[in-house]
Amino acid sequence: MAAMSPSKRRLQRELMSLVREPPPGVFVDGDEVGQNLTQWIVHMEGAKGTLYEGEQFQLQFKFSSKYPFDSPEVTFIGGNIPVHPHVYSNGHICLSILTDDWSPALSVQSVCLSIVSMLSSCKEKKRPPDNSFYVKTCNKNPKKTKWSYHDDSV
Amino acid sequence: MSTAEEQPGPSKPSGSATDEKERDDRTFECNICLDTAKDAVVSMCGHLFCWPCLHKWLETRPTRQVCPVCKAAISKDKVIPLYGRGATKQEDPRNNVPPRPAGQRTEPETSTGFPGFGFGDGGFHMSFGIGAFPFGFFTSTFNFGETRPSPAPRGTPQFEEEQFLSKVFLWVALLFICWLVLA
Repeated sequence: MAAMSPSKRRLQRELMSLVREPPPGVFVDGDEVGQNLTQWIVHMEGAKGTLYEGEQFQLQFKFSSKYPFDSPEVTFIGGNIPVHPHVYSNGHICLSILTDDWSPALSVQSVCLSIVSMLSSCKEKKRPPDNSFYVKTCNKNPKKTKWSYHDDSV
Repeated sequence: MSTAEEQPGPSKPSGSATDEKERDDRTFECNICLDTAKDAVVSMCGHLFCWPCLHKWLETRPTRQVCPVCKAAISKDKVIPLYGRGATKQEDPRNNVPPRPAGQRTEPETSTGFPGFGFGDGGFHMSFGIGAFPFGFFTSTFNFGETRPSPAPRGTPQFEEEQFLSKVFLWVALLFICWLVLA
């Protein structure tokens, strides 16, 4: 434990608290993540009373060695990508805290909460207007995209 | 304090001792590394960090230095180090981190009234003003040396004001001279 890098140490702490007291609708398999701390799969379910009620999603978190000073790379993966105006069909998410507004005081838990809340406030299930163009042209890493954040309502 | 069940102390223990200790530890966790803050500093907005952690964050975005927790403006000069009683260990965690900013000490203000105006108790303390008076009087009245700004044009409100002020000062000066002569 003593030889762990600061980023690994923090990830270990985050994992422990997320397994112990997960936010509602969020589940993480501690044993699975414990194998490789730099890449997590977080299971998420749509909140009750929202358009996504009853749906299951998987979020992939990738952490660089500069975490938490550098934001994690967060994408939806798996068979069910939520249909949402800020989620592209390749799983990329347009969310300011994942790039410009990242802060080292944020955590996997707070990112999950932001995403659950982003999904919950959605009024109409639809893809972003530039979805097909973006998915064809974007980099695999969503952090390489020059996002412009313009819609605070959803 | 006669009842035996009342525990003296800041808070009543609600859970087991380990729970309490854990909560105490979490209260003093650095908001960045989530460990107990080492070389602790606190921002003006009240958020606690290890100095090495906060310094690294400030270096990460030098042009936009904001508090990681509340996004208030933050800078190296505006953080306060916390010195606990037990923290006597003097080891610098990383050599490339500059030393933690020092605490700023302001001397407490003494509350002994007006120290400059000792009219009642210790005699009259305005002698230096009187000594310098004649020279100031000559230079300002006879206008040696540099030229003064030209007076305001006649008829403007500023002209009226200047006239009035100069009359007031003339009378004050005359009264002062009379008082000096008579006293």
